[in-house]
Amino acid sequence: MGLNNELIVPRAGGRSILLADADAGTIALPRAGAAERTALQSGFVTTTIGKVIQWGRYSSLWPALFGLACCAIEMMATGASRYDMSRFGCEVFRASPRQSDLMIVAGRVSQKMAPVLRHIYDQMPEPKWVISMGACASSGGMFNNYAIVQGVDKVVPVDVYIPGCPPRPEGLLDAVMKLQKKIAGELPGSLLG
Amino acid sequence: MTALPPLGSPTADLDPLSEQYDAARERLGIEPGLDAIDLVEIGDSTMELNMGPMHPSTHGVLRLVLNLDGEVVRECRPDIGYLHTGFEKDFERHTYQQCIPYTDRMDYLSPLFNNLGFSLAVERLLGIEVPLRGQYLRVIMCELCRLASHLLWYGTGALDLGATTAFVYAWRDREKLLDINELVSGVRMHTSFIRVGGLLADVPDPFYEMVGAVIKTFPKLIDEHELLITKNPIWRQRTIGLGTLTPEDAMAYGATGPVLRGSGVPYDLRKAQPYSSYEHFDFDVPIGRNGDVYDRYLVRMQEMRESLKIITQAFENLPDGPVNTTDRRVALPPRNELNTSMESLIHHFKLVTEGMRVPVGQVYQAVESPRGELGFYLVSDGTNRPYRCKVRAPSFSNLSALPHMVRGELIADVVAVIGSIDIVLGDVDR
Amino acid sequence: MTAVGSSMSGARAADLLERELPAAVRRRESAAGEVTLWVDRTDLVAVCTLLRDHPNAAYMTPLFVTAVDWPDREPAEPRFDVVYMVRSLQYNDVCRLIVQVTEDDPIVPSLELVFAGMDWHERECFDLLGIHFTGHHDLKRILLPTDWDGHPLRKDYASFGEPIAFTHNLEWALPAAERPRDMPGGSR
Repeated sequence: MGLNNELIVPRAGGRSILLADADAGTIALPRAGAAERTALQSGFVTTTIGKVIQWGRYSSLWPALFGLACCAIEMMATGASRYDMSRFGCEVFRASPRQSDLMIVAGRVSQKMAPVLRHIYDQMPEPKWVISMGACASSGGMFNNYAIVQGVDKVVPVDVYIPGCPPRPEGLLDAVMKLQKKIAGELPGSLLG
Repeated sequence: MTALPPLGSPTADLDPLSEQYDAARERLGIEPGLDAIDLVEIGDSTMELNMGPMHPSTHGVLRLVLNLDGEVVRECRPDIGYLHTGFEKDFERHTYQQCIPYTDRMDYLSPLFNNLGFSLAVERLLGIEVPLRGQYLRVIMCELCRLASHLLWYGTGALDLGATTAFVYAWRDREKLLDINELVSGVRMHTSFIRVGGLLADVPDPFYEMVGAVIKTFPKLIDEHELLITKNPIWRQRTIGLGTLTPEDAMAYGATGPVLRGSGVPYDLRKAQPYSSYEHFDFDVPIGRNGDVYDRYLVRMQEMRESLKIITQAFENLPDGPVNTTDRRVALPPRNELNTSMESLIHHFKLVTEGMRVPVGQVYQAVESPRGELGFYLVSDGTNRPYRCKVRAPSFSNLSALPHMVRGELIADVVAVIGSIDIVLGDVDR
Repeated sequence: MTAVGSSMSGARAADLLERELPAAVRRRESAAGEVTLWVDRTDLVAVCTLLRDHPNAAYMTPLFVTAVDWPDREPAEPRFDVVYMVRSLQYNDVCRLIVQVTEDDPIVPSLELVFAGMDWHERECFDLLGIHFTGHHDLKRILLPTDWDGHPLRKDYASFGEPIAFTHNLEWALPAAERPRDMPGGSR
């Protein structure tokens, strides 16, 4: 599973013990013996509720389809077979914002589209995150003119910005991974490790 | 909002059991006696349904306001402008070479055609001609771009109607073409490869191997794509006879490209008004018969094969030589001159900072993009920036025929028709 | 490089009009392989109908209508050049017509009934340049929100999203009216 939230760690030699998180408040079993192995085989893991919920949230981010322009094509390419975004849990692109928790604003936001963007964001249930994909969504990009909103963060709060015009699919995957770290709580505030 | 004529459903005041009811439903195109559910009147006889701008099947931010009678579309009013970017205003504020990256992002599925159209328009005003190698490379890159665009159309169009496998296949093959883009320019999509006076640079060596691989493998891959869809009974039932556009209507709406050719009008700018050495190549122009969604699909699939033919011919006959013009109004002086000649240095500096100056005049240059006639009406006032550059977007005109095509169709078919027009909202809204 | 056939593009339309409606053609110019015709707005509908219907012309495909804004031309010449282009698929030709209108009276008859495709193009021209097309069934904005103020493609419409001031161009941070007119990148 990675990301330091080890719930179960297989040890070399085939014997496994239950590792507890130091601040999780669970009891660390001293040694793996037959009793512990039986407990493991009957499917017990211990951790905090919070960590499990966060794990569930970041491992299955469902993006709302918000492809606007060229970045949408790279977003589709990220979801296609070569860069497979479903490895990261973002398999299902929901058309309905009410069934999604991640809004990837992919493309330039025009003045006419901005209220619609806000409306869709408001329709998403909490918790929700926003990735601003590409230069146009992050800052207006090359279009410093009357028609484009200079940065989607003027309309919705953004968690991760991706530079690029359009960003490579690896860039979008990196952003999703950074967002996952953020959700897991490892990145306090805006410090990116 | 427009005052629409009152649209009363012919079945509104009729007793469901009467034969007039059946007759009226027949007129509406609904088979009498087919549904087991009693129709429930929802107050008014028609319903307005908003489709978009955020919708998985509208290929971008297109909003359609549909006037529905049950599931039958009585009226469709597209509301566009959700991606209006003000390109034409931006053209007026940048030098000619600076405009090229802007052109990339208009029709973002076939960016090289935008580059080509703009560059050809400027070159016509300047009166310069690109060397043959440059022209052939332009043709190769543009036809590869047409392949990529048609593959994307195929993938998304099929996905809209439920064929998810086609989407994945199309994108797998598109990645091979994007790899070539990345090789020649460093960028997968918006390459800005075709510029005024020629190209960004000559192609590096792996290009030949990669294009050779495309020429060898793609015919079979396209056959694979066709195998999934063309004779598939579900596809045929969903697309044959749907969204028919007569040739007269197609011309009246200004439809061009596969939409026009699907209706049987044999007009392709590459043949009719050849540019950039297209007259050197031997290829066919597929045309449809009935003007329905299925015919447009077949036209585009065949166009992919014709593109491969063109690429093969251009690739095999690719001449040696420079790719860029040597006309000093446009081309940067060669590097070795900069060390010895002060005038060259100054000229280089001015070309880079101020850009080229284009003589006074106006010109209209059209290219055959995957969507149709992409035209650039360029007005120059003699300075280094375009005075006015109007982009004639094919998707804009093709989309204006949509209300005509979906009138009387079912709402699920609207999705199929939109897919068959192959619109790009960046092109529609500019 | 051939962009058009061996003859001037638009010559067919120009010759036809000079034969059939000579009073309608005010000016004819040929440059860069293309013929441009200036017509009066009162003759516009008749000219286009003739071009569409005449068997030797068949200009049935509307390409676009737009306008070019020359604000410094007034009062010597009208401000706007309303440009129409139509294509004849049968004879493989394009024709360019220009109608000149002034700033105070930017009104042109609509060609919606002549070419079905002109509907949207006229709405776009109205939206971005403020040209009014009389007889259009519903001339409202198409690309910009309906409550937008102004017409962006006019030359006096300053289009800046956001001033980005570097040390070498602090004048970008000034309001549009106060910027100097010869800034690199344009002050408009």
